[in-house]
Amino acid sequence: MKTIALKPHTQFAVWRDHARECLTQNLSPSQVLWQNGEAAQDLFTSEPCITAPAGTAMPVPKSFIELSELAICHADPQRYALLYKILWRLCHENRALLNLKTDNDILKLNGLIKAVRRDAYKIKAFLRFQQVEHSLDERFVAWYEPEHYTRELSLPFFQTRFRNMTWSILTPYLTAHWDREELHISENENPDHRPQKDRIEDYWLKYYATTFNPARPKKQAMLTQMPKKYWKNMPETMLIKEMLHNSEARARKMIEDGK
Amino acid sequence: MNYIHFMSDKIMTKLEILADAAKYDASCASGTAGKRSADKKDNKGLGSLTGGTGICHSFTPDGRCVSLLKILMTNNCIYDCHYCINRASSNVRRARFTVQEVVDLTLNFYKRNYIEGLFLSSGIINTPDYTMESMVRIAKSLRLDHHFKGYIHLKTIPNASPELQAQAGLYADRLSINVELPSQASLKTYAPEKSLAAIENAMARTKDNIIEGKAEKKAPRFAPGGQSTQMIVGADGTDDKGILTSSVGLYQSFKLRRVYYSAFSPIPDASKILPLKPAPLIREHRLYQADWLYRFYEFTLDDILAGTDNNMLDLDLDPKLSWALRHRESFPVDLNKADRHMLLRVPGLGVTSVNKIISLRRYHPLNWIDLVKLKVPIQKVKPFICVSNYRPAIHTLDSQALVQSFKAPASQLELF
Repeated sequence: MKTIALKPHTQFAVWRDHARECLTQNLSPSQVLWQNGEAAQDLFTSEPCITAPAGTAMPVPKSFIELSELAICHADPQRYALLYKILWRLCHENRALLNLKTDNDILKLNGLIKAVRRDAYKIKAFLRFQQVEHSLDERFVAWYEPEHYTRELSLPFFQTRFRNMTWSILTPYLTAHWDREELHISENENPDHRPQKDRIEDYWLKYYATTFNPARPKKQAMLTQMPKKYWKNMPETMLIKEMLHNSEARARKMIEDGK
Repeated sequence: MNYIHFMSDKIMTKLEILADAAKYDASCASGTAGKRSADKKDNKGLGSLTGGTGICHSFTPDGRCVSLLKILMTNNCIYDCHYCINRASSNVRRARFTVQEVVDLTLNFYKRNYIEGLFLSSGIINTPDYTMESMVRIAKSLRLDHHFKGYIHLKTIPNASPELQAQAGLYADRLSINVELPSQASLKTYAPEKSLAAIENAMARTKDNIIEGKAEKKAPRFAPGGQSTQMIVGADGTDDKGILTSSVGLYQSFKLRRVYYSAFSPIPDASKILPLKPAPLIREHRLYQADWLYRFYEFTLDDILAGTDNNMLDLDLDPKLSWALRHRESFPVDLNKADRHMLLRVPGLGVTSVNKIISLRRYHPLNWIDLVKLKVPIQKVKPFICVSNYRPAIHTLDSQALVQSFKAPASQLELF
């Protein structure tokens, strides 16, 4: 049994090097134990890493690489093992495996990818910048807690959209700073720091409360698109309880006033 | 940019009045309008279009997506359309944004990642041209003074001059003009100052401008997101056939991207000639489903409506299921053999499921377990399909009880 311990937010390239090595040594999925988390390293002594001979290419479809790059961002501790199992089956069982959408491993893989894509999309949607007051040039800071390790997937979006703004995105594990030319990513050494509410937020809250139509509340439709786990990232969600509470009375009043 | 800072209370009140006045317009999704962003040499540009449909930055408790800053420039109006909260004879509080105020709000919201862009409509002040000209100035200032690359949707003012409409298309990603009601007769009763001919003329011009803009590579881009419109459902007596016929006419004649349906909903200080009760939301939902079948499922209007009662869609059954129950001779459909057209007719199978089925059956025949794993709604599809190890019992499709089994015990969507 070979044990491989990986950090929670492991880069795809690191996993790929380990997987390539296991494949070269012809280790079946049941002969490899993929450990998740930093503590794991103390309990098991990993065998010294043997680098695969240069030029050893994995004979797998290109789409597998793209899909695993996404799946590895999921927080599921089983993801490294699942990816290796699929890799093994692609090489030894069926090269068309990825197309068998009702295969149990492929179902799991697609489930992970769907969750990761959604999480990465929701960052683009729900992240809120606050302007840092008293700065000479405009500077913006956002705090966001993604469910998975997906923030890196969303950074190109912010670099494109807010290319000419200076901004920082803080997450519990990493910080990213954009100075209009380059992106600087580092560990978040001050994870308790939160940006302060800025002067425009009240306008946003007013807009959010006003654009709601109290005559047609559909709480479930809202929750499907914006489950409560995201609410901590969005200031306007603190208004929802009261908006729903008052909606029926407001709608009735509109009808009464119309009579 | 600090302008907003000094006038905060006043702006807050205007925002409240003018967002409230705009919220009844449903045709506000931010559609696909290609990709756009500031390039490496551009040190001023703000924003981007991602190429897909606009991002929903929030959801309000009515389940609607918040994608754009949706406001009126002003809710003052010289027209007196009965269904409209802003009609001349209504007692609502009135307000008017300046060009600068709308520009500031849009940019400030955009920089905080609250929105994809601006949806701007307006009541008509002075003249249609005066109103349209002010709206165009807002879009122009965002684009030229502030290098704004986000989404702009402008509502075209009926009866505004062709020149102003042409200008609007240069700065906006999408133009829309609401037909509001499905026939000239209804317009005459409820919106006496509007005419169907004028609205259709504006749509035709926009269509021509869009086609011209696409035909010539060097021509300036013109409303790349196309045009859309909104119809109010249940304020007048038009049946679903009348509404859908009108929509199909609009899709065909003016190449509209979307027709939005808005169930008539009570508004404060409503006109006396309007119904007191809101139209059932489920009717709006059924119209959207029918519209969808027409645009993406290869259904004709005749497929959707032939055999319905009084030319109204069934409120208890979705229109595809309703069609299937009226055409039982076409079922069961063999999912391993049927062509795409027929797969799309199966109740419970959406475009995504159909694509998965077609892709998967190249590798192995589909069986019952595959359907469960693909998460198709088993109860719904069961009577209408067969797969390698399943056929519905021979009498299922003939049974009178089949219709009943699909009717929900109580309607959940209806309010009041």
